[in-house]
Amino acid sequence: MGPYLVRRLAAVLPVMAVVATVVFLLIHLIPGDPVSVMLGPDATPTQIEATRQALGLNRPLWEQLVGFYGRVLTGDLGQSYFLDRPVSRALWERAEPTLVLMLCALMVAVAIGVPSGTIAAAHRGSAWDRGLMTVSLLGVCIPGFWLSLNFIYFFAVRLGWLPAAGYVSIFSDPVAALRYMVLPAFSLGFSQSALIARISRSCMLEVLQQDYIRTARAKGLSQGMVTWVHAFRNALVPVVTVIGITTAVLIGGAVVTEIVFNIPGLGRLIISAILRRDYPVVQGVVLVTAAAYVLINLGVDLLYALIDPRIRYD
Amino acid sequence: MRRSIQLAWLAMIAVLIVAGGVALAADTPRKGGVIRVGNLGEPPALDAHWTTASITETLTNHIYEGLYSLDSSNKPIPMLAEGVTISKDGLVYTFKLRQGVKFHNGKEMTSEDVVASLARWGKQSVYGKALFAQVADWKALDKYTVEMKLKEKSAIVLISLAVPNNFGAIYPKEIAEKFPPEQKVTEYIGTGPFKLAEWKPDQYIRMVRFDDYKSRNEKPNGYGGGKTAYVDEIRWVPVPEVATRVAQVETGELDFADDLNLDAYDRLKKNASARPIVSKPYYWLVAVMNKKDGLMTNQKLRQAWQAAIDIEPIMKNVAGGKPEFYRMDSSLAPVEITAWHTNLTGLPWNEHNRDKAKRLLQESGYKKEPIRFMTTQEYKWMYDFALLTKQQLEDLGFVIDLQVVDWATLVKRRNNPKEYDVFTTGIGAFYDPTHAVFLTPSWPGWTTDEDILRIQSELARETDPKKRMALWEQQTRQFYDKVPVIRYGDLFGLRAARNTVRDFNEKTERVRFYNVWLEK
Repeated sequence: MGPYLVRRLAAVLPVMAVVATVVFLLIHLIPGDPVSVMLGPDATPTQIEATRQALGLNRPLWEQLVGFYGRVLTGDLGQSYFLDRPVSRALWERAEPTLVLMLCALMVAVAIGVPSGTIAAAHRGSAWDRGLMTVSLLGVCIPGFWLSLNFIYFFAVRLGWLPAAGYVSIFSDPVAALRYMVLPAFSLGFSQSALIARISRSCMLEVLQQDYIRTARAKGLSQGMVTWVHAFRNALVPVVTVIGITTAVLIGGAVVTEIVFNIPGLGRLIISAILRRDYPVVQGVVLVTAAAYVLINLGVDLLYALIDPRIRYD
Repeated sequence: MRRSIQLAWLAMIAVLIVAGGVALAADTPRKGGVIRVGNLGEPPALDAHWTTASITETLTNHIYEGLYSLDSSNKPIPMLAEGVTISKDGLVYTFKLRQGVKFHNGKEMTSEDVVASLARWGKQSVYGKALFAQVADWKALDKYTVEMKLKEKSAIVLISLAVPNNFGAIYPKEIAEKFPPEQKVTEYIGTGPFKLAEWKPDQYIRMVRFDDYKSRNEKPNGYGGGKTAYVDEIRWVPVPEVATRVAQVETGELDFADDLNLDAYDRLKKNASARPIVSKPYYWLVAVMNKKDGLMTNQKLRQAWQAAIDIEPIMKNVAGGKPEFYRMDSSLAPVEITAWHTNLTGLPWNEHNRDKAKRLLQESGYKKEPIRFMTTQEYKWMYDFALLTKQQLEDLGFVIDLQVVDWATLVKRRNNPKEYDVFTTGIGAFYDPTHAVFLTPSWPGWTTDEDILRIQSELARETDPKKRMALWEQQTRQFYDKVPVIRYGDLFGLRAARNTVRDFNEKTERVRFYNVWLEK
């Protein structure tokens, strides 16, 4: 396990180098200019040029790239043009909302997806199966922003049960924080649950056709015992993979939910940074998200060994 | 019987007195509360000298003040200045400053702060640069007096000091000198009724009442006059999704929301706890022609475009079919800027004259080359009017290459004359003809026509109001002949306020929350 871990962690470095280079080039090569956005619609080209010089944006691209590498190697992600603070601080401030949203949405997704898929498989072809899979199909099909806006309209505006949008830190007021998190977590979790439900169903179906399940049934075990005790754990490996991917997606991909529910997280940060061409922030968010992606995948691989004793990393 | 009638009368009078008192109390401004204002996003800076971004204008005008401000008819009135004396030859302006005005750091504002701040503003701001190009000397005479000597007579001194955008905010000398003009200020100390308490990007900007604020004695008047910070705190909340801003006003999570989509108007009208506010002036829609390079350097082609378009259906469509949100007007200054609004007849505006357009097109020698028309979907109204324009023009034989890009790309590319022929934007209120950016050679589109520039410089020098108006009318007629840009109609904006928000001034272009109080 030890050497495997070292090998995997060592592989992270070239991945991050490639990501850093690609994102740097992409964001600098697309048209647009942070200074023109910052100085406003009536700024003159002379003013814009003066500020570009002050920010070092008129230097050749390769020179800026070398500077970027140098800073990243010393752990410095640079200074945001727009936010007047180091990128690392901007990321740190937005990590909590994104992580809280990710965890809550993941809980909703797993709580809906895994039981739905398992029950549908256990009652294959029944009304339960068809009903649950139709709901999961809806989860895949309904656009996230549409669902979010309708949640706001019904539960906040019409019924007044929950706040429409905003964020309260879980450390300052946990109850209020949860109230603010209900709608975004359900709207994001519901769509993510669809994939988990479908994968759970197909894995369970596969496992339920195995010989040892037939043997368990022949021994007279109840349907619940067969499904949840004998089949469920063996169906988990692919499901955990999907949950891992979902987690990684949620870190950088909850953009729409964060914008609609006005949650000051990483997704919202990257969208505004792209629109403003705040290059250091875009680079920082992508680097951190890529690192999280790689580490989550590693964590998922390690989890396999815990779930299935047959898997070993020697 | 008589006694009971008398008693009934007395009771009725008592009820009326109590009810009147209650009504009076309900209308009496009171201090306290937090007003939560939802806006579009983050400001690029809280440095008023540094950017022309409207969100910076809105926010910084609560923290800082200039020597002059604008009254309800958009004319300059003193703010931090007590007044000004102008020498007979019009070349020396001596400003007396108000005494006892304190900065948020407790220091008294004096002439050295004014000199340092406006010197910085004169190097960075669009309006400051224009004014300081005419300044020969700028210095403090004593603690409360500053003197501005001009190279030549100028009509724009006071109005330039009064414009709210990119304005001549007075900072403490130490801050004005610490930050060079091209570098934005990151220490926010002003003399305004609110001081910055906290800025958490993407979460909120908190401004709290400045208890030592020294208000002018006059009544509130436009952007100026007396200012009272009734609310304890203004909390500016960036809410990028417009539908969420509307919902949050409906639920009461926000007290006020700015920049809403016009389709929310009917929904807000039905809400018993909130009210829609039509904001005017907002923008007149404009197609800016590249007069430095490419097809649109051809005046006949620009005139053909102007003759071809049918503006009313375009405006109706952009305004979502609601007449409350658009106005057909050819004046270059909107109706609300009464001093510069013109009522000229016979202008070739909104002609939708197909024969004339075809003739001009032929005279221009246009050979169906694609005209690169750049727009963005980030501002839906820009995209809508560009799309409708394309349809109308192509009916007449134009070939329009509509290039839809994001705003950051548009504002970058519009500075390069090789990259476009026409771009969309909006022209907001300007308070003096010399501040009309589309008539300057430095702004994208590059209006370099000698006749237009000559009148602009005459307007900058001429101080007689009647002669200035005559020049402006002459400039307006010339504008429709030279066609540096195409003027469409006026579009209005939508805001919403909870009914508990009281004494909000609906007549200013940008929102202000001094003198506003909360009924709770």
